[in-house]
Amino acid sequence: MTDPESIDAEISEALNAQKKSASNRKTLGVLTVTAFAMLGLGFASKPLYDTFCKITGYGGTTRVASENTSDVSDRVVRVQFDSNTSKDLAWDFTPEKPYMDVNIGANNLAFYTATNRSDETIVATSTFNVSPVKAGPYFSKLECFCFTEQTLAPGESAEFPVIFFLDPLLLEDRRLDEVTTVTLSYTFFPVENPVGTIKEAALK
Amino acid sequence: MVAIYGDGDDHAHNDKPTFFKRWFLSTNHKDIGTLYLWFGMASGLLGGFLSFMMRLELKEPGIQIFASEHTYLVFTSMHGLIMIFFMVMPALIGGFGNWFGPLMIGAPDMAFPRLNNLSFWLLPVAFVLLVSSFFVQGSSSGNGFGGGWVMYPPLSTSGHQGPAFDLIIMGLLAAGFASIFGAINFITTILNMRAPGMTMHKMPLFAWSILVTAFLLLLALPVLAAALFMLFFDRNAGTGFFNPAMGGDPEMFQHLFWFFGHPEVYIMILPAFGIVSHVVSTFSKKPIFGYLGMAYAMVAIGVVGFVVWAHHMYTVGMDVDLKLYFMVATLVIAVPTGIKIFSWLATMWGGSIRFEIPMLWAIAFIFLFVIGGVTGVVLSMPAIDVALHDTYYVVAHFHYVLSLGAVFGLFCGFYYWFGKIFGVMYNNILAQIHFWLFFVGVNVVFFPQHFLGMQGMPRRYIDYPVEFATYNEISTYGAFITLAGVIAFFVMMAEAFIVRRPAADNYWGEGATTLEWTLSSPPPYHQFNTLPRVK
Ligand code: HEM
Ligand SMILES: [Cu+2]
Repeated sequence: MTDPESIDAEISEALNAQKKSASNRKTLGVLTVTAFAMLGLGFASKPLYDTFCKITGYGGTTRVASENTSDVSDRVVRVQFDSNTSKDLAWDFTPEKPYMDVNIGANNLAFYTATNRSDETIVATSTFNVSPVKAGPYFSKLECFCFTEQTLAPGESAEFPVIFFLDPLLLEDRRLDEVTTVTLSYTFFPVENPVGTIKEAALK
Repeated sequence: MVAIYGDGDDHAHNDKPTFFKRWFLSTNHKDIGTLYLWFGMASGLLGGFLSFMMRLELKEPGIQIFASEHTYLVFTSMHGLIMIFFMVMPALIGGFGNWFGPLMIGAPDMAFPRLNNLSFWLLPVAFVLLVSSFFVQGSSSGNGFGGGWVMYPPLSTSGHQGPAFDLIIMGLLAAGFASIFGAINFITTILNMRAPGMTMHKMPLFAWSILVTAFLLLLALPVLAAALFMLFFDRNAGTGFFNPAMGGDPEMFQHLFWFFGHPEVYIMILPAFGIVSHVVSTFSKKPIFGYLGMAYAMVAIGVVGFVVWAHHMYTVGMDVDLKLYFMVATLVIAVPTGIKIFSWLATMWGGSIRFEIPMLWAIAFIFLFVIGGVTGVVLSMPAIDVALHDTYYVVAHFHYVLSLGAVFGLFCGFYYWFGKIFGVMYNNILAQIHFWLFFVGVNVVFFPQHFLGMQGMPRRYIDYPVEFATYNEISTYGAFITLAGVIAFFVMMAEAFIVRRPAADNYWGEGATTLEWTLSSPPPYHQFNTLPRVK
């Protein structure tokens, strides 16, 4: 192992090893950043997902409109009302009518009734969607009890209004040609740490 | 020692360290590979025990073995998690990847040997965390977590408020990070440490399979980690990522889970693809047909695998166009998969085939994987899947690709490299007995489950109506046969280690052409101190 040639070989191998470990560190850096980026993407999926559903109406997410300037069409769609409560919520919650036949483009007013069965004041909030989900982007709400938290005193009943219209753009979407019924569904959940409304409730 | 470990270039550091240093502080890729293999075997025994108890329970209608429904569900959930994260992944990727990744590309070791040690030793820690969940409160119905390996909320949040699931989250995070470290190590090794002349397009297919697998791990596991963190926060820190009452959405968990989950199924099968390619080529005495096509088919499977995840979620109420997209994308994967199947067949075509034990496993792998692939294509149609989703048809599908696909790939590699890893040869007759019992056993277990699924038997229930009794009984008999096969496997191991027939350097002869066959069996503790030159 002492002849000059093998020393040369050893030196060049040592140099090679140095180069190797430098490029290894570089690769390590790039890959670590990639892993963290994917972790971040995982977390970022929450806002991305919400935004995506709002924009596209995927999953039956409805639209919020500030005004309705559309023409009223002859086509009639039956809108059915569905209501659910979480098992942790001692409320009765039902639509006033099971369904309405509405003209596309026209404004409509529907009511749900809620009663607090418990002996405590309860704050609750609702989630909503429509099915078929492809109708989501055309279901616009002008006013809805689901936009805010709702509070009911013990035994109290209240009527919750929702004002909505079906966007006439629906008429141009061939995928919705066969749709004659749209179901609007709400689910109420108790709010553990209500924002804002709790004080009013306490004052009542 | 010299006779076994030495050839020309034995440097002084060819001595092996003491037992404790060698196995616990090991940074040697071959020793770590061996540790992974033993670890996978041990967790395979536990995972197998759980499934055997499930099959015993399902032998007849009614509830016989289990004290509660909850415990049965805990067994199914833990069976899935253990087999995936602690058996298949450690053995295929950690075991064979560590052993033969560096050897095949002519590297002296992994790029980061100490990181490699950390990757392995995180696993037992993770395993202890996971298994301890059996013994602590899961839900009001009892100990352990029974929400399935998919861990969907709200069953995994408000449905399992006990600490058991927190232990599982921590265990999976530990195992996940271990795999991410491992993936980084593999990618760096394969990209930077190939011997001179070993270009990417000359690299053996097993090394390719490990490279693609490592990329899938690197991109998919952090997403699982994020989802698990969110579950943990939802459970313990009052967040509401998946809680609709707080503006969250439980469906989002499913998206995140399957964004990881679908690549994960390929993580488990790609290394088996690599192994089978070498075995088919060795025992047909022909180079693999369409080498480049085989390599890039794996890359294509990996890439497309990231955009098909929602085929697991057709029933969540998704838009019909979205279903259409996911169906087409899923069907596209069948193309590169087909390329692989046909290239294996073409390799065998006209070859001088030897039906050695590894070849039996390889041929069985191809056969069974095709069955599983075909049922996969059936399931990828949303219109059919809404009927078959969460029935035993799905159970049959994924066991044909996993416990008959990935596991056959595992045994295939195990027998192929047995002599290389342990330096001793197995007994051919015992290995034959193992193969045939196992082959018949698992088919008897899982084939009838196709029929159960088509008749509508849902998965994840402890009991069933008597209409389903016959096929369930047959399936349980299959489990007995499989158990006999597992016993034969351990007899085979014991015999080989007692009798110690020494293995030659290249005991498969001419067909075995990759670099590991140029070394002794087992290879020297440090190999390739002078890098091999590949023409
Ligand atoms: C041609 C290729 C394949 C296609 C088209 C395919 C398609 C599918 C589809 C559509 C499902 C969802 C069924 C349902 O839940 O209703 C599914 C489930 C599954 N597949 Fe595949 N698959 C293929 C290959 C594989 C491979 C190679 C593996 C693993 C090695 C695999 C493992 C699984 C697993 C584990 C599940 C069930 C997950 C669960 O619900 O617990 N599949 N497959
Ligand atoms: Cu999948």
